Amino acid sequence: MKLRLRSIVIHVFAWALAIAWLFPFVGLLMASFRPIPEIIGGWWNFGQFSPTLDKFGSAFSKIGTGLGNSVLIAVPGTLIPMFVATLAGYGFARFSFPVRDYLFLTIVLLMTIPQQMVAIPIFRIMLGLGLANTVSSLILLHSAWGLPWIILFMRNFISSLPKEVEEAARVDGASDFKVFFRIVLPMALPALGAVAVLQFMWVWNDFFFAVLLCPATVSCMPATVALIRTIGRFEFDPGLLAAGSVLVMLVPVAMYAVLQRYYIRGMVGWTIKG
Amino acid sequence: MIAILAAVLVITNVITGLSVFYLAQPAATTVALCAGSAGASRAPPAVSQAVQVTIESSSSGFVVTISPPYKTTQATIKAIGPWAGPEATPFLRVLENFTRITGIPVQYQNIRQEDLRTILPTQFASGTAPGDVIFMVSSFIKANGAAHMVKLTGNISDSNYIPGSLDAVKVGADAYGGVYTGKIKPGFWYRKSFFQAHNLTVPTTFQEFKDLLVKISKISGIRTPIVSGDGVGWPLSDITEHFIATYGGAQMHRDLMAKTKAWTASDVRAVFADRLIPLLAGKCFSEPLEWNTVALTNWWGGLHALYFMGSWITGLVADPSDLGVFSLPAQAGITRGIVFAGDYFFVPKYTANLAEAQQLAGWLAGKDGQTYQVRQGGNIATALNVPSSEYPAVDRGVANLTNGVDILSDLDDTIGGDFQTNFWSQLQLLWVSPGQLDAVLASIQSKVPA
Amino acid sequence: MLRLVFFAPALLLVLLFVAYPVFATIGVSLFSSDGSFVGFGNYGTVLGSPDTANLNGFPKPPPYGTLIHNAIWIGIHLPLSLFLGLWLALVLRDVKGASWIKTAIFIGMVTPLIVGGILMLYLYDGNIGVVPSFFNLIGVQSLATGWLQHPVTLLFGLIFGSVWLWTGFSLIVYSAGLTTIPKDYWEAAKVDGTSTFRMFTRVTFPLLKPMTIVVITMTILWELKIFDLVFGATNPQGGVGGAADVLGLQMYRYAFVQLPANVGAAAAVATFLSILTMVATVATLRYMVKR
Repeated sequence: MKLRLRSIVIHVFAWALAIAWLFPFVGLLMASFRPIPEIIGGWWNFGQFSPTLDKFGSAFSKIGTGLGNSVLIAVPGTLIPMFVATLAGYGFARFSFPVRDYLFLTIVLLMTIPQQMVAIPIFRIMLGLGLANTVSSLILLHSAWGLPWIILFMRNFISSLPKEVEEAARVDGASDFKVFFRIVLPMALPALGAVAVLQFMWVWNDFFFAVLLCPATVSCMPATVALIRTIGRFEFDPGLLAAGSVLVMLVPVAMYAVLQRYYIRGMVGWTIKG
Repeated sequence: MIAILAAVLVITNVITGLSVFYLAQPAATTVALCAGSAGASRAPPAVSQAVQVTIESSSSGFVVTISPPYKTTQATIKAIGPWAGPEATPFLRVLENFTRITGIPVQYQNIRQEDLRTILPTQFASGTAPGDVIFMVSSFIKANGAAHMVKLTGNISDSNYIPGSLDAVKVGADAYGGVYTGKIKPGFWYRKSFFQAHNLTVPTTFQEFKDLLVKISKISGIRTPIVSGDGVGWPLSDITEHFIATYGGAQMHRDLMAKTKAWTASDVRAVFADRLIPLLAGKCFSEPLEWNTVALTNWWGGLHALYFMGSWITGLVADPSDLGVFSLPAQAGITRGIVFAGDYFFVPKYTANLAEAQQLAGWLAGKDGQTYQVRQGGNIATALNVPSSEYPAVDRGVANLTNGVDILSDLDDTIGGDFQTNFWSQLQLLWVSPGQLDAVLASIQSKVPA
Repeated sequence: MLRLVFFAPALLLVLLFVAYPVFATIGVSLFSSDGSFVGFGNYGTVLGSPDTANLNGFPKPPPYGTLIHNAIWIGIHLPLSLFLGLWLALVLRDVKGASWIKTAIFIGMVTPLIVGGILMLYLYDGNIGVVPSFFNLIGVQSLATGWLQHPVTLLFGLIFGSVWLWTGFSLIVYSAGLTTIPKDYWEAAKVDGTSTFRMFTRVTFPLLKPMTIVVITMTILWELKIFDLVFGATNPQGGVGGAADVLGLQMYRYAFVQLPANVGAAAAVATFLSILTMVATVATLRYMVKR
């Protein structure tokens, strides 16, 4: 009996907490589809309730291009480093050469560097290459920036794969590349799924690099920057900003809802398995 | 919403005999609409009745070409301004009249001033410019005028303007830019109906102002007498500037702007300590409200009686005829100033059509061009002799407040940069902790650029 | 030699866009804005600036300077998010529908941080926000105002907001960690009659050590690098009087907001920040690299 009561209390508490946890999102959502004057005093007052999608329309017209740019940046910004890093991760896991471990550690150490640490030279390099204010600059940068953690992740994963199949293939005369493409890559797919969702999310969510390399140009601004640019120098529309925020977070949240297990595998895998 | 705007536009066009198509179509569309264009080709320039308007619009901006309804060998001059969409309509009307009268075709393109800030320096460096007459913030014109812009002192002279109008674009005696119309920040707005209902009157001395605030604070339902809108920071700076320009005087405002006076100087501090701080400490102001929408709603709804805002407020409220406004009461012996957010423009040295560009500049700066703009509401002219009868009723009272005061540029806009954002954030701090006045002034002073 | 192809693209990208810029930044940090060599002068200027550390007249409300703010951030955010996540992970083992609850809490982790910052505007707004309304309801008038308008509530409000966003991480990591611990451990302890608390300190927590290390490392990194959240919720100055200014924002402001830019000082801030992240991770990195 005592146990039952305890269990009920825990259930009520846990569920109440989960709902309370979502409150801030509900507030944002309310601000996005109800006129602001109507929610003065709190969105939970429904005395007046006139929902409208107007703000989503105007938000989309302002950040629609940005959402498109985000896709243009995030898709190659995910695929390129995945491929490049898997190659290197395989190399680090299977080939041995003199400075391998030092090289590997250096790359891993770079993972902890804050984005601010590269900002000034990156800005100058991109300017010099004529890539400032282009989508390409962000693809390049994100590709490079994602490498250290993906290399670490893939190396850890590949190290845990059994060597026997590869060795058997080598005995049959398969080249390194054949082994990589035919045997390792297919076996690495589950790990690549985790890498893909995380890298995609990080690129999509990135703000610092985006505002560094494309602070104001419509043709390259990803959604996160376009969203901030809806805040005028002198005025902003809170309803529109809320609607825009919802649009920007929709993609990563929806992806998370669908591909949840990859996220968890990604978040946990490279940290705990190792 | 877009449909209503389009309808409004169509109606106005029919009335004036001009045609403007504004539709946010994804692909570039070219529409030339012109009543009676068939016979117009032989019409002489000065008396042509209508002009052709071509609009290309895309998500990133739009380009409008205004040309006379006959073949012309005149080069088209290009004007660049910050207005897009419906905001641009009044300005396009002004350009149309320019083309109608002079026969010079004009192309208007919308480029945001933030973007111009990055575009212009590179183009200047290669000896080109994106347009012939370009609207830009005054600090940029002042900084780059001597190197890259045409001196306009010849066709634009101080004596035709409200005093101080051109200061923001002058280097020494030379003006490298001109001033068009603009918005002023006249003072505290109130609802006439509210003042009537509670038997309140506009103050004529600072003491009366304080008495008024006390009286308001006792009205039931009032949270604080004044609501502090805060947007992204600027309304607080506007209030502060109004106190400085009124009780420190126009000269103190100019000296602070010219960085020849320190914020920590005793007379500057006195304006804060004697005038503003007592009101802040006495809870006469609300805490800064992040969103002007909320500030406006609460004020209009009677939670506050006074709202400091620029003259564009007339376009934000449900019933502009209920609006009244007063400046802080003058102090004897001090020349007051009022901050004017002017729209400034310049002619780049690299223009291929210097004569025409100067003609347009003169038109915009002159009484005629400005009259067309103010007639359409929301703007105040800088040119003298624009008759007050030309203003819509709500703007007339505002225009009258400029009588006998100096026109000042916006202080933090003029200094700009890091100073400005720090200024805003320090004032936010002052608003909630007036006791920190000295720390706030010291911090503001520390960011004054050398 | 062909095997070099496996490494070449990765090395090239990392060298050009990560490694070289890191060293270039260190180089920049040694020069003043006018291009003259100043050695560690910029570091002295930055560390001596009230922007970085400003405790004159303490106790006083913020701003305390970016370095102190980051430290406060770690001091509050790390234990709160870590133990909240751990505690939830433990509790949720016995709750039906726990996966839904975890999903709800984890949403904060997938939300763009810049949106997280913007969210703070709505959460803490004096007129529409749920937090001030809550305190109004329970009668705490001093907290029933706009949180972002007052220095103290701004800093702490953003820290609490970041706990709300980040707790999903420790929850997920600990939940996964708990599934790897065989039930026998607890059974055995229960038989011995160990109290719940002792069971936690003697059995559960030690077994979760690898997860704790990961959570601590990643959380400290996140706290040191915090930027988007503050940028979205405030302004380039870090809000009211700079009360929520942080190192990441300070660097950005020095290099890309203020005019004239002070690139040397910005690079010094960045380098300093990198040293902090290195210190925070070097000790724990070896746990993350599989031998």
